[in-house]
Amino acid sequence: MSEIKPNDKGSSEESAEEQDWAAAKAAFDNLKSNKPRPPKPKNAVTIAVSSRTLFNMKAERKIFEEEGLEKYVAFQQEHENEPLKPGPAFPFVKALMNVNTQLRELYPDNEELFDIVLMTNNHAQVGVRLINSINHYDLTIERFCMTGGKSPIGYLKAYLTNLYLSKSADKVIQAIDEGIAAATMFTPDTEQELSDTQLRVAFDGDAVLFSDESEIIVKQHGLDSFFEHEKAFENKPLAQGPLKCFLEALGKLQRKFYAKNERLNCPIRTFLVTARSAASSGARVLKTLRSWGLEIDEALFLAGAPKGPLLQKIRPHIFFDDQMFHIEGATELGTISAHVPYGIGQKYHKGKLIEQPKKKE
Amino acid sequence: MVSTDQKTDVKEKEADCPVVVAVTSHAVFESGGAEDPDGLYVGGIAFPLLQALQKVNERLLKENPAESLLFDVIVITTESQQQQQSSRITESIRHHGLKVSRFCFSNEEDFIENLLNNNVHLFLTTNRNEALQGSQKGVLSVLLDEHTASCPTEQLRVLFCGDAVVQSEAGPALASKQAAQSFSAQIGKMRGRFGLFDSPISIALVTSRGGRESCGDALRTLRSLGVNADEAYCLAGVPRGPIKRLLRPHFLLSECFSSN
Repeated sequence: MSEIKPNDKGSSEESAEEQDWAAAKAAFDNLKSNKPRPPKPKNAVTIAVSSRTLFNMKAERKIFEEEGLEKYVAFQQEHENEPLKPGPAFPFVKALMNVNTQLRELYPDNEELFDIVLMTNNHAQVGVRLINSINHYDLTIERFCMTGGKSPIGYLKAYLTNLYLSKSADKVIQAIDEGIAAATMFTPDTEQELSDTQLRVAFDGDAVLFSDESEIIVKQHGLDSFFEHEKAFENKPLAQGPLKCFLEALGKLQRKFYAKNERLNCPIRTFLVTARSAASSGARVLKTLRSWGLEIDEALFLAGAPKGPLLQKIRPHIFFDDQMFHIEGATELGTISAHVPYGIGQKYHKGKLIEQPKKKE
Repeated sequence: MVSTDQKTDVKEKEADCPVVVAVTSHAVFESGGAEDPDGLYVGGIAFPLLQALQKVNERLLKENPAESLLFDVIVITTESQQQQQSSRITESIRHHGLKVSRFCFSNEEDFIENLLNNNVHLFLTTNRNEALQGSQKGVLSVLLDEHTASCPTEQLRVLFCGDAVVQSEAGPALASKQAAQSFSAQIGKMRGRFGLFDSPISIALVTSRGGRESCGDALRTLRSLGVNADEAYCLAGVPRGPIKRLLRPHFLLSECFSSN
């Protein structure tokens, strides 16, 4: 699992880290509660969620935008003991916790688990309400960063983050630029009942798992060119996209279940939901996945049909797509969606080139 | 301005005393007594720290020209060789534009007495032995290291360590808890003079071993001292090197929390 995380430190710093880890482990084991111990960061699949994705802070956000920072923090402090309501990432976090429970049953001393970190720009005084809310729902979130307004990007790296979810597109773009899988979360208009025994994650293909190289062809040369190109290059793997490593991390955890004969009941299920069609351009995608040694449980080729209705049937805890058009379609029908702001898809909306305003200096 | 809780409001009605910070000449100037072409000392590890303290004072006075809760900076020599360099030290300080209210030209024998006589609230040194001696006499003593040299000059960054582990390589073991708590209360009060945004002081809390409860408890402990942290990081075993490099604190305090 450690290949997923960078390892570029000198040996003296590494031994200091090992000491820190041993001390933290001992401290947790000595606690009288039977709270599960957070996993070793190097071995874990670390998911960082922002406060607004974990909790519904719409009302509070409004106060911040209309009345400013001081009033916002004062409000949060006044309501400190009132738990916040769940946000879009909440079901995903509960599903991750559920997988952890099952992993711990099969592998008691294992560090290859999901690790959920709260990564927020909020001031530490607001943090008290966040901690109280986490306590209220008994979420296993033992690590957090409250940066008091500073950029979280450096901290994402310091916490060895595998996936970052935020409501702020700016931060997500910065994270992706730094090579961290990230997506902007959207709350669906209606709530769907989601599985509480299986984590279900759906991915778009191009510009999410794969690079946007083929999407560029579609946008600039049209569908026919795209089909010809994909058929011609069927056996050449696509380059990887921003969420490929996250799929890889899910795959490693899935294999732990397979090793214990739990393939049929595996509590992690992955879906590919792509506008490609199986006949003409689908083969390249499947072959690419195979060349990466990655599996996806279900591959759904829509041949251009809208994704919303299909996702409604799949009911994933999260669905990643690079195009806002698909995100909108999905959230309208109740799917919790996350936009991956990567690639050529950001310059287009519904097939038309968006006029880019002149960038401010 | 952020309002702190009832207790500190009552205290604010009395005139606030200045926060006396003593820094050794070894920390202020480059070790080995390096000199520039004019024969004056070159700035050392504690330089950015002094500039940051000065910045805080400037901003405090801007908010309230009659402010009495200011940093009162003393430069102290702690050994005889430096003790004899008094004029060069004062000249160098003036040359670099640093505002120092007093100089204490002591040596190894009597510097501790001078710290006590001057009612020093915080003693900053690059010498572990000196820090230990200071703590043993009940003076809050903090060891500065090379990281302090690369800290910002525009904002004073104070890091509270909620569990002793983070502090272990830097600080002495016997620092007086009471001295630490009263200094922290002063810092908290100073922080309260500014708003949440654009403050010349920033207070961060780090817990390195425990989970969210231990960090939550540390936040509440700080609050009870009148300190409202701006930033909080709960590591629970995450490697602390990269975090410390991002935080860039001028100095670390850990004695406020009960030692386990």
